[in-house]
Amino acid sequence: MIRQIKYLTELQLKNLYGLNVFKYTKDKKVKQKTIGLGVAMLFVVLMMAAYIGMAAYGYIMIGMAEVLPAYLIMLSSLVILFFTVFKAGSVIFQQNAYDILCSLPVSQTAIVVSRFIRMYVENLFLTVIVMLPGIMVYGVMVKPGISFYLIGCVVTIFIPLIPITIATFLGALVTAIASRMKHKSLVSATLMILLVVGIMLGTSSLSTMEDQFSIDMLQNLSKVVLAVIEKIYPPAIWFGTAMVSGDFLMCFASIAGGLVAFMVTIALVSAKFHEICRSLYSTTAKHNYRMEHLKKTSVLGALYKRELKRYFSSSIYVTNTIVGPVLAVVYSGAVFGIGLDKVQKALGLPIDVKGVVPFLLAVIFSVMTTTCTSVSMEGKEWWIVKSLPVRTKELLDSKLLWGLSLAAPFYIISEILLIWALKPDFMELLWLVFVPLICILFSNVFGLTINLKMPVFNWESEVNVVKQSASSMIGGLGGCAIVLVCMLLVLFVPASYTNVFKFIISLILAGVTFYLYRKNNTVNLQELG
Amino acid sequence: MLRITNLTKHYKGSNKGVTDISLTIEPGDIYAFIGHNGAGKTTTLKCVAGIHGFDKGEILINGTSIKENPLLCKQQFAYIPDNPDLYEYLTGIQYLNFIADIFEVPEKEREMRIEKYADAFEITASLGDLISSYSHGMKQKLAIISALVHAPKLLILDEPFVGLDPKAAVVLKEMMHEICESGGAIFFSTHVLDVAEKLCNKVAIIKDGVLIASGNMDEIVKQGESLESIFMEVACDDKTN
Repeated sequence: MIRQIKYLTELQLKNLYGLNVFKYTKDKKVKQKTIGLGVAMLFVVLMMAAYIGMAAYGYIMIGMAEVLPAYLIMLSSLVILFFTVFKAGSVIFQQNAYDILCSLPVSQTAIVVSRFIRMYVENLFLTVIVMLPGIMVYGVMVKPGISFYLIGCVVTIFIPLIPITIATFLGALVTAIASRMKHKSLVSATLMILLVVGIMLGTSSLSTMEDQFSIDMLQNLSKVVLAVIEKIYPPAIWFGTAMVSGDFLMCFASIAGGLVAFMVTIALVSAKFHEICRSLYSTTAKHNYRMEHLKKTSVLGALYKRELKRYFSSSIYVTNTIVGPVLAVVYSGAVFGIGLDKVQKALGLPIDVKGVVPFLLAVIFSVMTTTCTSVSMEGKEWWIVKSLPVRTKELLDSKLLWGLSLAAPFYIISEILLIWALKPDFMELLWLVFVPLICILFSNVFGLTINLKMPVFNWESEVNVVKQSASSMIGGLGGCAIVLVCMLLVLFVPASYTNVFKFIISLILAGVTFYLYRKNNTVNLQELG
Repeated sequence: MLRITNLTKHYKGSNKGVTDISLTIEPGDIYAFIGHNGAGKTTTLKCVAGIHGFDKGEILINGTSIKENPLLCKQQFAYIPDNPDLYEYLTGIQYLNFIADIFEVPEKEREMRIEKYADAFEITASLGDLISSYSHGMKQKLAIISALVHAPKLLILDEPFVGLDPKAAVVLKEMMHEICESGGAIFFSTHVLDVAEKLCNKVAIIKDGVLIASGNMDEIVKQGESLESIFMEVACDDKTN
């Protein structure tokens, strides 16, 4: 069993981030792209480390040193949970090589464990980025004993275990439920979205409980923060307390608890592994078609319909790209239901967002558009479009149109709710309607531009494209980051110039969108892939 | 119909590719393209189909350059790769209708052609099912039907007989003859030398990216010889020497 897990894990890790392809490819372009991506990732890692280091410094300076380890553990665990819950089902039950694995003398537990380890390795990297700067700053400023570092190292190794176990359990549960349904992808995506929105609403409602401690807050801020962390994620307190107080017993008890939860989840998933895979990948063929009238559609219409069907055939594509629009409606609904001030407080926003609600809505809409991976999603079928008499503009328009169509109903609902709740004057109404609209257009065109620059067609699993590709990271978050920067710029402009500034920013974004759109349409499809 | 002149295509960072390929396919030709695995058959076919760009040379389809006017060229041919990766999220009929939409085939014509070819390949009943439920052979049949749905003048096929059952292979050969009799042409790669010899009037042999023989079948395969023996003689001379 151990040998089986070792071999299968090696196989999983070789496929991670295209490392094996990088090692053996003779194509210099592929090597350059991978190196470029590595440098970009290193830059992001250094930025994150610097941010965490500064935040840790700030915590210690305001006398909250004892809270810091628990805070960092909670932060890394929540990030892992949020990112893993989307892909856990797809990774554990990935179709790739399922038939080959089934024909080999390997146990299903070994398959499940190897896929779990792959997720663990990815997330351990993330944990180290969060924990290491924090531990270093704490070490320099607080000068703890050797037990802090020992427990800190052990804890860092085990931090990903619990969130991954929870994410795997939830992901597997969603996949298992969806596998029994007719529209598997759609059911899976819907359940996943409900789950994520539930987690987000749950954590934000727990964090708002600090209102109850308003008097205590003045007297003992650390205790209040620890109480909030304990409500959100109790293991962070156990691990954090073990680190600060040098309590080895508490440390090992927490690790043992995580390991037991992990093993129980593995046992449950393994027991149902083949059953779930069979339900997921078996297709029913009715074999009863009779020729009927076929309706003619325009080229653009045909490509658009194909985009729609492609989209709903992939649950991970849906869940990853619909989060933004759904959260936009949740945000607008919350503003409508409880008011802007309370929402701002619940989200813990340190700034007054009243003047930038249109931008805030635009930022939420700009996260992970469909277009940042829609070219890559063509995958091995890319030859079809390349060999057909299809203009670049028609193909890209169909992808853009689908991205915009998806956002449209959510945009309309959000607008109605916000207009109703905020009762804006004429100028405010203008910004509320047009700023998100321009930003949605911009982020979709920007996503498409990035995907055309960094397409990946030779992928094994949709997870590689939707969650791990450079295009999904840069295109999916880049557009959002640009809109965020615009929002921050508006915040720092004197009130009397805000309207002019909003107009200039909107004009620039619209201009860039138009330029990128025109430029994208000149791309030679033959040169892609 | 198809004129390839001094086609040269090399993959970046690799010695693989094709060098200085020239051949002409006339209306009515069934042209076989044979060679070892990795000899450059698929690369050549993909260049002709406009899937790959190329470094040097020219490819003309009915006098139109694929480089200069790819859209006009693509309207005149159909291409089927060696491994038909089709849109698995569509049903068979949705895929065929999609292809017909792209080629702007009138409704009546598409219905008539799909019915004719789907019946011939015996997959009409499966057209309402998702392509993901199809076997390899069924996908190959669907790819062939999609290639025929817009009545192309030129068919470019990469290993078209792989995965087909014996009856479907016979149907495909009949269709290939039918297309050529109506003034069309077929350029296809194959490893089945018997089929190539019986079916084709022209043949080209490629080795390590270079065309080593091409022309009329009866000029290349003299009386008393077979395409197999010729192929072994010219394409495998390294081993025999």
